[in-house]
Amino acid sequence: MLEANGVTIKFGGLVAVNHVNLKIRDKQITGLIGPNGAGKTTFFNCISGVYTPSEGTVIFDGRHIEGLRPYQICQAGISRTYQVINLFWKMTALENVLVGMHPRMKGGFLTDMFKTPAVRREEKEAKEKAYEWLKFVGLEKYANDPASSLPYGGQRLLEIVRGLASNCKILLLDEPAAGMNSGEKEEFDRLLQKILDMGVTILMIEHDMKLVMHICQYIYVLEYGKLLAEGVPEEVQNNPEVIRAYLGGED
Amino acid sequence: MDKTKKMNPLMLAVIAACIGLPFVFMGAPFILLILCYIEIYIIAVSGLDIVFGYCGQISLGHAAFYAIGAYGSVLLHKYYNVPVFFSMLIGAAIGAVIGAIVAYTCSNLVFHFLSLATQAVGEIVYILISHSPGNITGNFVGMYTDSVSIFGFKLDNQFKFYWFGLVCVLIFLALKQALINSRTGRAFMAIRENVKAADGMGIDVRMYKVKAFAMSAFYTAFAGALVTHMTKYASPDSFLYKQSVMFLTMLLFGGTGSLWGPIVGSISVLVINESLRDLQNLQMLVFGVLMLIVIIAIPGGIYGTAKEYYDNLKAKKSAGKTDAGTAVSEKKGV
Repeated sequence: MLEANGVTIKFGGLVAVNHVNLKIRDKQITGLIGPNGAGKTTFFNCISGVYTPSEGTVIFDGRHIEGLRPYQICQAGISRTYQVINLFWKMTALENVLVGMHPRMKGGFLTDMFKTPAVRREEKEAKEKAYEWLKFVGLEKYANDPASSLPYGGQRLLEIVRGLASNCKILLLDEPAAGMNSGEKEEFDRLLQKILDMGVTILMIEHDMKLVMHICQYIYVLEYGKLLAEGVPEEVQNNPEVIRAYLGGED
Repeated sequence: MDKTKKMNPLMLAVIAACIGLPFVFMGAPFILLILCYIEIYIIAVSGLDIVFGYCGQISLGHAAFYAIGAYGSVLLHKYYNVPVFFSMLIGAAIGAVIGAIVAYTCSNLVFHFLSLATQAVGEIVYILISHSPGNITGNFVGMYTDSVSIFGFKLDNQFKFYWFGLVCVLIFLALKQALINSRTGRAFMAIRENVKAADGMGIDVRMYKVKAFAMSAFYTAFAGALVTHMTKYASPDSFLYKQSVMFLTMLLFGGTGSLWGPIVGSISVLVINESLRDLQNLQMLVFGVLMLIVIIAIPGGIYGTAKEYYDNLKAKKSAGKTDAGTAVSEKKGV
């Protein structure tokens, strides 16, 4: 579904991501792991349009998307969350989800201003749908509260559901479980399964190995911007290179 | 939608009061004039609110659009005999186009860079109207023009002008509210709250900034046309930098990002300003002090702070009955 071929990102002389080949398989969760500073988030930013790769191509559904602006990539069907939560703080939870639905709504500037019947209908349906989305992650009781007033775990969930609301085909999750307690993580595990069941493909950066090994069907490991290993969880877990990178062996 | 429905009785009372107001002050033309000015400022400041309060983009050059609306209308009427009401609309549209061009070119600028750029636009327009090629604007002498006439009915005094202004205010505010509570309005707010995330959510940030600036400029330019045809005279003095500061003061004083903020701000600042008329030279000083008061003491502006206080009070009241509160918010959500 999504294929990165030889993606390289350079910042001046620093090569943050070095010839990474990665393939996200349809309707699976692909994990992207690696030590801090390995270039995982940089790679994410490249797929989602924040950076343009210095070399290499990113192909999504048979279409080159490298170099597109973030909003174009979102409109194409790739949505994302951020490592540091990036919500619209003063807007309500419901409005946050409604903003997430932006790419699939049709209201234009003038039709919005003069509230044509079509816009009224769309707006009403969108609000109902946004409420459904909040229910999906159990945040419906916060619908009219500003996003900043939600508990931390709720903010993470809101960000995910805001991404999903665009009806994306691929959801990029950047450390979604960071800061969650073990109970929340178990719930999150179930939520990911539900998202998969909806037919959404996921690429996830995550440090929690238990979660990653349990839910990811395929894992890529980055170190110093280079692809260190890839494979199904068991392979990666037993790969001596990966163990060295994580535990720091001498060789 | 729910909110507007709830506010209706209050809204109707306010509108009724506005309609009755000129009869009360029939014998006081000065107060009628102030009321007309308040209407005009409400439109102009609401325009600024779209771009600053909702879209989060600062403009210190809105006097430019005020001037473009005013001179656009006056010149069209003078040289091309466009009837005054249509010349006002065209003048406002020209303002919107120029606003769009400014926003398109400045879309990557933020904070102080944007304020400098918009300030520069204000200065350019000021220079153009005060040193116009071929003296078409009458330069520093200014130029006289006609009052608004609608289907041959001349609004040649403040008493008549007031209602025309009131209708304009209601239309402009209604359109603003409609836009804000829509996909476009949410996109504006998303840009204000978090540009990076807005971009990531599929919002074409540049295009939406252009839209916000264009609409904002249309409002302010229309207000400029209104003021010129009310006083029947346009001169560069009314479009100095301090006019932009005045708009911003009113907006900050009343409260940004709301329907009532620009209204409260326009009324309070204008009333304060007029009561200090004897201190004309100290006007900027007064603005400065007002600005400081707002920034330090009431960062949300008068309306913003009052609303926050009221909301907190309500939250405290309903804290005892949380279940009822949740049920209400659930209803609201759907």
